[in-house]
Amino acid sequence: MTVAAVEVRDLCKAFGGLRAVDGVTLAVAPGERRALIGPNGAGKTTLFHCITGTLRATSGQVSLHGHDVTRDPEHRRTKLGMGRTFQITNVFADLTLSENMALAIMGTDRRKWVLSRPVSAFPAVRELVQSGLAAVGLGERAEHQVTLLSYGERRQLELALALGTRPRVLFLDEPCAGLSPSERQRIFAMVRGLPRDITVVMIEHDMDVALGIADRVTVLNRGRVMAEGTPEQVQADPNVRDVYFGHV
Amino acid sequence: MQANHIRIVVALIALAAALVAPFAVGPFWMTLLTQILIFGLLALAVDLLLGHAGLFSICHASFFAVSAYTVAILQVRYGQPTIVAAPAGLLAGTLLSVLYGSAVRTRGVYFILITIAMGYIIWGAMYRWASFTGGDNGITNVPAPAIGGIAIQSQIAYYYFVLAVVIACMIGYGILVRSPFGLALRGIKGSESRMQSLGYRTTSHLYAAFVISGAIASLAGVLYVYYNRFVNPVAASFNISIEVALMAIVGGSGTIIGPFIGAGILLGMRNWVSSFLELHAAVMGLVFIITILWAPTGIMGIVRRLSRRRMDAGSKSV
Amino acid sequence: MHNAILQAINGVSLAALLFLLASGFTLTFGLMRVVNMAHGAYYLLGGYIGLSITRYTGSFTLGVLGGGLAIVPLGFLIDRFLIRRTGENHLAQVLLTVGIAFVIGDIALKIWGGDNLKVPTPMFLRGAMELPGGIIYPTYRFVLILFGILVGLSLWLLYRKTQIGAVVRAGVDDREIVSAMGINIDRLFVLVSALATFLAGMAGVVGGAFLTLYPGAEWEILIYALVVVIFGGLGSLEGAMLGALIVGLLDAYGRWLYPDFSYFILFGPMAILMLFKPQGIFGRAG
Repeated sequence: MTVAAVEVRDLCKAFGGLRAVDGVTLAVAPGERRALIGPNGAGKTTLFHCITGTLRATSGQVSLHGHDVTRDPEHRRTKLGMGRTFQITNVFADLTLSENMALAIMGTDRRKWVLSRPVSAFPAVRELVQSGLAAVGLGERAEHQVTLLSYGERRQLELALALGTRPRVLFLDEPCAGLSPSERQRIFAMVRGLPRDITVVMIEHDMDVALGIADRVTVLNRGRVMAEGTPEQVQADPNVRDVYFGHV
Repeated sequence: MQANHIRIVVALIALAAALVAPFAVGPFWMTLLTQILIFGLLALAVDLLLGHAGLFSICHASFFAVSAYTVAILQVRYGQPTIVAAPAGLLAGTLLSVLYGSAVRTRGVYFILITIAMGYIIWGAMYRWASFTGGDNGITNVPAPAIGGIAIQSQIAYYYFVLAVVIACMIGYGILVRSPFGLALRGIKGSESRMQSLGYRTTSHLYAAFVISGAIASLAGVLYVYYNRFVNPVAASFNISIEVALMAIVGGSGTIIGPFIGAGILLGMRNWVSSFLELHAAVMGLVFIITILWAPTGIMGIVRRLSRRRMDAGSKSV
Repeated sequence: MHNAILQAINGVSLAALLFLLASGFTLTFGLMRVVNMAHGAYYLLGGYIGLSITRYTGSFTLGVLGGGLAIVPLGFLIDRFLIRRTGENHLAQVLLTVGIAFVIGDIALKIWGGDNLKVPTPMFLRGAMELPGGIIYPTYRFVLILFGILVGLSLWLLYRKTQIGAVVRAGVDDREIVSAMGINIDRLFVLVSALATFLAGMAGVVGGAFLTLYPGAEWEILIYALVVVIFGGLGSLEGAMLGALIVGLLDAYGRWLYPDFSYFILFGPMAILMLFKPQGIFGRAG
């Protein structure tokens, strides 16, 4: 039995009296593509936050590749191979793209503590910056400031940053949110093209995208897992149809 | 590129002017220039946190004063030579910043308030612990710095000494802010949450920056006490802490030369104004108000905006 | 023992004064996210104005009320035309309001001069009175405690038991919800701000009667108010009460037992609190 890439056991997150996540258990196998879907307010992003460490879970357990990270701060989890994108684009607006990328590359590297040499003195970093930006189609814009980027391009950068930490498990929070159809396709293709040694867990509202990429789908509703299975199974599930399309 | 050439030329001109100054101007200006260099350095220390890490510390006068007092007490009361007193001063101020750096566990307005309170602790100690610090009167008759029997007696010689130290600091600071560490600070300022998700233990970086900043402030304090030959509790005051922050902003926060430009403007202005008006606190207050509301990027910000406009107008598509 | 009780009363009377200043400061931050470092200057200016009113009219009550009321329009103008332009940028607010405080302080110096001035109190508040247990204590400071309790109680009732107070509390919790509910959030801000300014100005007159008024007093009182708020937590009225008590007592005992180190006695516990709960006793994280 291989160790799950991500395992969540009976996770709860309460804000005062409100239980945003109410006892979620799931396991994602290494290399799997898992889609997390559910109506607004189902607790998907909160669940993500608890897994990635942005929020501390009220109770329950989180493990990444067998390591119990429930008590670990976010940066520790990143060192263990977690990468994430944010639902609301969270890039460094006042810096250039290459500076953004450099921060991502060095995040899990000792070199980030160097005080006495400029960033440009590390050719290995520069190379990774270039390749990282090129992989998302932003290679030409490396020296531009992020403020010059369109929204879609910022989402691409967001993905590049997450990949820059060389994650083993990638958490994508609505990577296609607010994008035009062609931009969606581009992100879609990029995620599809990721190697299988990276596990991908994705929150996505766009059913086609989610079902097109995913091996398995978990449906969340009101903080609980409502259904889980292959895309076909989930689509056929009457409860899921109810939640998404209302009562007929 | 064009912009870089201009920058180098301007820097060289400024350097030349600084080197030639003693021969062109009288003793009053020499005093002012030395002051500008010293307080500019203190402002630079504050700006490492403000302009790069996004932390607004209003307690840096504490490090400045503690190192100044340490030097003064060691030289005057215990007869220690400069070779002992100066490093001890630097160490004392830096140690205080190691202690005070715990403030980086807070953010935003809490950080600001806590640094204000921490600054007052030292200031209060300077005043009340009169038996040790001389209280109101401070410590007077600090001798000229001397190494190996050679004392830097003259104003002009000390000016060059301070200039050399400041230039060395500016070079070191430039390397620091261009390093991965410096970039990390700017990343934290931009989005701490992003930095944490990229694997950075942000509080550690901020702490290191705080201590480095405290060390630079302590160095300024050592330079100050030998320049002034005297130190009193005013050196630890809230006024100084906040004025040097304003210097950094007026000159251009986030740049290396900005804090010095700001020091030049504020100190120059205070000297000029106090010669005919007694309302210099009000004038300083007005500078605060005007800068914050209408020129928050400071002089360097305005320069950058103008040069960018000229470059866009003059050049073809990028 | 006798001395200890005396110091306790001293501490509580200082706490009463600090509460007047800190309560406005903390609510202004809690509701409007504004850090107003000119609060100390409001204290000083209100005190001076109240002093002049008292001298001119012979009425202490008029002075107290007048000092408070006089600052309200000034505070309003500063809020609307200056502070509002900084949005939620706390750094800008601090620098801006420090600048404003410098200007007010200098103008006050020009008008009232640099000497220590004492606000004259009415006859019945002068001298000393006998408290239970045979303790002789300055009447004024004791009455100040009662005044502080009165104001504190009124504020607390207003805050916890009235409709307006409920709206303010909701606004402290979540501003968007309050405006979404159709309540004129702007008017609410003006009201709370005016109250805070009034309290500050009034505190100046009340404080000026026993601490005296002098250039620099605005900063000394402000730092105490800041420590109160650091202890109690920004945005909490109860925090301002508790914080004021803590600071008042620490200050009184510190000055009595270790005058050389009284600042350490005051700030030391604050520093320790900061290490463990930087948001203060009643504060919320973030």
